[in-house]
Amino acid sequence: MIPLAALRAEAEALAAELDAVSLNARAAEAREIGSARRRRAGTGEQFWQYRRHADEDAADRVDWRRSARSDDLFVRESELETSRTVLFWCDDDPGFRWQAATDPRTKAEAAQMLMLTAGLLITGEGERAGALGSGRKPGVGKRAIDRLGEDLVLGTARNFPEPPRKGATLVIASDFYDPISEWQARLAPLARVCSEGVLLAVSSPVEISFPFEGRVRLSRPGSAFQRLIGRAETFREQYTERFNAQRAALADMTARMHWRLVTHVTDAPPLAAASALKIALESFGARRT
Amino acid sequence: MTAIGPFLFGAPLALAAILALPLLFFILRATPPPPKQIELPSVRILEGVLPREETPARTPWWIWLLRLTAALAAIIGLSQPVYAPKAKTGAEDAGAILIVIDNGWPSATRWSELVNAAVATLDTGGRDTPVHFLLTAPQALNVDPAERLSKTDASRRLSSLRPHSWNTDRKDALARLDASGLKPQRIFYASDGVESGSGTAFAEALTKRGALTIFAAPPKSAAAITALNSETSAVKVTLARTDRAGLDRGFVSALTLDGSALATAEFSFRDGQGQTEAEFILPGAALSRIARFAVTGQQGAGTVWLWDSADRSRRVGLVDAGASAQPLLSDMHYIRKALEPFAEISEGSIESLVATSPDAIILTDIGEIAPADAIRLTEWVEKGGALIRFAGPVLAAQGDDLLPVVLRRTSRAFGGALAWEEPQSIAAFDEASPFFGLAVSQDVRVRQQVLARPDPDLARKTWARLSDGSPLVTADARGAGTIILFHITAGPDWSDLSYSEVFEQLLRRSIAAGKGESLADTDGAYTPERMLDGFGRLVPPGANAAPMKTAAVADAVPSEANPPGLYKGPAGTRALNAAAKANTDPILTWPLGARLLGDAETRSLRFAGPLLTLSAGLLLLDLIVALWIAGRLPRLVRRAPAAAFALFCALTIGLPTPAAEAQIDPWELGNPWTDGPSQGADIVPLGTSSSVPAAELDAALRLRFAYVKTGDRALDQRTAAGLRGLSTLLFDRTSVEPSEAAGLNIETDALELYPLIYFNVPENPRPLSERAIKRLNDYIRVGGAVIIDTRAGGGTGSDMTRLQTWLKGLDIPPLQVVPKKHVLTRSYYLIDDFPGRYAERKLWVEQSAAPGTARGDGVARVFVGDADWASAWAIDENGRDLYAVDGGPDQREMAYRFGTNLVMYVLTGSYKEDQVHIPALLERLGEREDAPGFEREEVTE
Repeated sequence: MIPLAALRAEAEALAAELDAVSLNARAAEAREIGSARRRRAGTGEQFWQYRRHADEDAADRVDWRRSARSDDLFVRESELETSRTVLFWCDDDPGFRWQAATDPRTKAEAAQMLMLTAGLLITGEGERAGALGSGRKPGVGKRAIDRLGEDLVLGTARNFPEPPRKGATLVIASDFYDPISEWQARLAPLARVCSEGVLLAVSSPVEISFPFEGRVRLSRPGSAFQRLIGRAETFREQYTERFNAQRAALADMTARMHWRLVTHVTDAPPLAAASALKIALESFGARRT
Repeated sequence: MTAIGPFLFGAPLALAAILALPLLFFILRATPPPPKQIELPSVRILEGVLPREETPARTPWWIWLLRLTAALAAIIGLSQPVYAPKAKTGAEDAGAILIVIDNGWPSATRWSELVNAAVATLDTGGRDTPVHFLLTAPQALNVDPAERLSKTDASRRLSSLRPHSWNTDRKDALARLDASGLKPQRIFYASDGVESGSGTAFAEALTKRGALTIFAAPPKSAAAITALNSETSAVKVTLARTDRAGLDRGFVSALTLDGSALATAEFSFRDGQGQTEAEFILPGAALSRIARFAVTGQQGAGTVWLWDSADRSRRVGLVDAGASAQPLLSDMHYIRKALEPFAEISEGSIESLVATSPDAIILTDIGEIAPADAIRLTEWVEKGGALIRFAGPVLAAQGDDLLPVVLRRTSRAFGGALAWEEPQSIAAFDEASPFFGLAVSQDVRVRQQVLARPDPDLARKTWARLSDGSPLVTADARGAGTIILFHITAGPDWSDLSYSEVFEQLLRRSIAAGKGESLADTDGAYTPERMLDGFGRLVPPGANAAPMKTAAVADAVPSEANPPGLYKGPAGTRALNAAAKANTDPILTWPLGARLLGDAETRSLRFAGPLLTLSAGLLLLDLIVALWIAGRLPRLVRRAPAAAFALFCALTIGLPTPAAEAQIDPWELGNPWTDGPSQGADIVPLGTSSSVPAAELDAALRLRFAYVKTGDRALDQRTAAGLRGLSTLLFDRTSVEPSEAAGLNIETDALELYPLIYFNVPENPRPLSERAIKRLNDYIRVGGAVIIDTRAGGGTGSDMTRLQTWLKGLDIPPLQVVPKKHVLTRSYYLIDDFPGRYAERKLWVEQSAAPGTARGDGVARVFVGDADWASAWAIDENGRDLYAVDGGPDQREMAYRFGTNLVMYVLTGSYKEDQVHIPALLERLGEREDAPGFEREEVTE
């Protein structure tokens, strides 16, 4: 069990290595007044550009100070500053909060660290971050990260959370080993409210390589399920096939929801996964523009 | 013993356990090996995919077959089956018993066991069973096997038997048995277990004559001393053993005549080794007192080696004839070379030699012996010494009475320009001569000799002649001793004899005449003096011991007539050893039909061991199979090669190669007195030749100064520039032609390659590491020079307190401010200040200790100052000065002159100090020392 502070510190280090995130704005969000700069004209405090006066502009929008310097009329525009909300959820199944003897951390801890990194990056830009199903409002700044961390570690008492009231970008971390149909049923209500989401699939290396040999009895943490296998090495191929099928189905489901899938293995360097997560978050909106 | 078919079972009841096998079968079938428990969350994706149970609940058939075989093998093994197809059982009560006992010397060590086994056999038969005896060691009056004894008589007879000190002759014993016509029902053979040429065949022959039971008790540990090899100060004893298995170690003692131990040597047999050696390293005087060797803790004639006088090392005194102009041609040289291999040589005056009472004293060409010495020599000879003299021009001129024959007052030369005779060769030695048996090459020529005056006794006294019959070596007894005269020189002046290999033999035999072993009479016989009994004790000769002829001594075989022991004869004592050149190989194969007891038991075809081994092997196999099924094996197998490799490496490194050992020269090992100036200090090691960095190689080939890299780059550049300036100047003005200065990391680079290390102290120095201090200390201790410049300058005094903390641990000797007439002030230029960038600073140097103290010649090796010399010397690549100097060009010149002096001082040491009288000389020449200006002193190089 890694203390939250340690996870937070690692996340800070990771975030320091990555560029600032910049989420693309979407027209529908213009009403969400906030502080994240959207790099386009809109409602906000900061100067964005002077542009020539067009016919449809009201006369009182003319910026006379600028226009006086030339023959044309100019309109002063400020930069759109809105705020988006990103909600995180980390699976609290005992199978996810589990680590193999050789792993550095549990899958949940790896996921939490990546999500904290993403949280740090987006709150740094003025977006709001929060934990899905925690009951606390998403916030901005360092306090939001503190809360996010606490809520992620605390979990949601093994219940899948209700969808948020307002649309937000979701990051759902799990190992996604439950049948895909189950996951579809769980995610459908979320997808109805939020069109943007990232599935963060974290797995342990032994779950991928299946390095067992001989006669083994496989059991699943947190459940009574057990399987006896006579020659594990001969079973490996079958297992790998099954694992890949599960991943393919997951990718398929994600694509149908127009969400993104990010995978991570706990012994891989977290920077790659954090970067992938950041790119996935940034890709929203860009698709539409 | 129960016989089933051709097998005898020692514990037949154990076979009943076979009945339990079916039960075992059912238990084994039921239990498969337990699986490994593995937790895996992703097993969720397998739900609905896996079959419920994959492995069979039952053990595979081949596993239970394996286990049942193991159990069966164990049960049969425990019942102790023996393969004895021809064994006769059940005939224990009827018929006569023949008891055959090996009573040669090998049986002595375990004699009581043999006798006890034989006595125990007596108890097995019926009350009136007749008992017969057959003893295999031959005797003049052998026990007749046909003689019938009652059981009580037999046991009495058995307890009175003793082993003999000679070996068995089993063929003879068999012949005696057949001659007696005895037809025994049972035979009990108490064997010593030593083959001795015919052991196997003898046992085989006995099986044909009755139901045979064999009890074997081969000697344990070292059975015999089979040979002895003596050198000047060492004796090697060869030991043999019968039972070759296992390690064995023990001790051999060297005993004097009265039985007190002089020395003990350890011997050890490796597994499978039948022979080994024990070495005694003793001074010659002690060696000569050794009378016999015995294996400690073993009782038996075989384990005792009597050492006669024939090959004992001799102490020989050579009378000093004074220094010779040509040592390699001197007589003494040849004698010394000839004696070295076998004798202990001491040299000195006659008086001192007689005092040590050697076996022999050799005089070369000494004509007249001083009367006092002559008396001493005579006394010594009469007490048994051998005085060996060589002729020569001096002796030819004047002889004395310490000669065996009377000499003519001339020498006889052959083959000269005015002589008819050819140089003579040496005739074959007479049988009466102690030299008899030695072969002399006909190439050996004698060119000159002294002649004996004809005398009736001359023929008797002559030991060797020339081919024309004139005596070459004569000898005469004087009291208990002998005086021997070689009528030639010991060197090659008069003959080639000293070149010949026979020369050494002649000397050896001559020396053997010393100490009462007069060689005058070689006829006759060697009579037994002290005998060994079967248990290796020295006893007076028995009634059957007969004298031996001299000729027979060399190849006598111990027997009842010639038992092992000491024989006294004309040429001293000769030993006959029981186990000389004996073969102690064990009897390896016993006849199949015999019942075996004692140590022979292990040689019988018993199946208990193999079956139990098989059972254990099968169980091991089962274990491996179980591991394999449980999936724990591959990891072990994967690690096995690495482990084996590691073990192999450990063994290879652990065992030193013989070549490496052979190269160790004892004189190169550390010697506290010759290790020189370091006195235990670590000299900074040079790299090995294979890995010398180019920089070190370069530094070793050219003179260059060095500076310490401080980590402050600007400072290092400044120091380098300063040394560049100094080097350039030296190159221009003096014969010192240094190369570019080198920057050093004190902790890693080789310091001792540089004559001078310049140490510019940075502004805020970090204390030096312990390693750096240690290496600097070593450098100073082996003679390096260190210049420490704090560059502080300014102020009134020079503050060195900062240095103290910084150089903590550096072994700086007591320092002093450079005194007025220090060598530094005149080693090249005459100077009275040591300015750098700052003038009139103080320079501290090591107090000149008195020459001869640790730092040779009292040359200072540490210089401490704060004048910032490097900056004053510094030039850039184009030769332009880099830094301003307080006093302008004049002071810079002075700084350079100081630098030159410093380098000269470091390189030449106290050379200039030797010229302390220069001022006086100059004054005498009318010049004044303190002449104005900076005159160069004459440099003589």
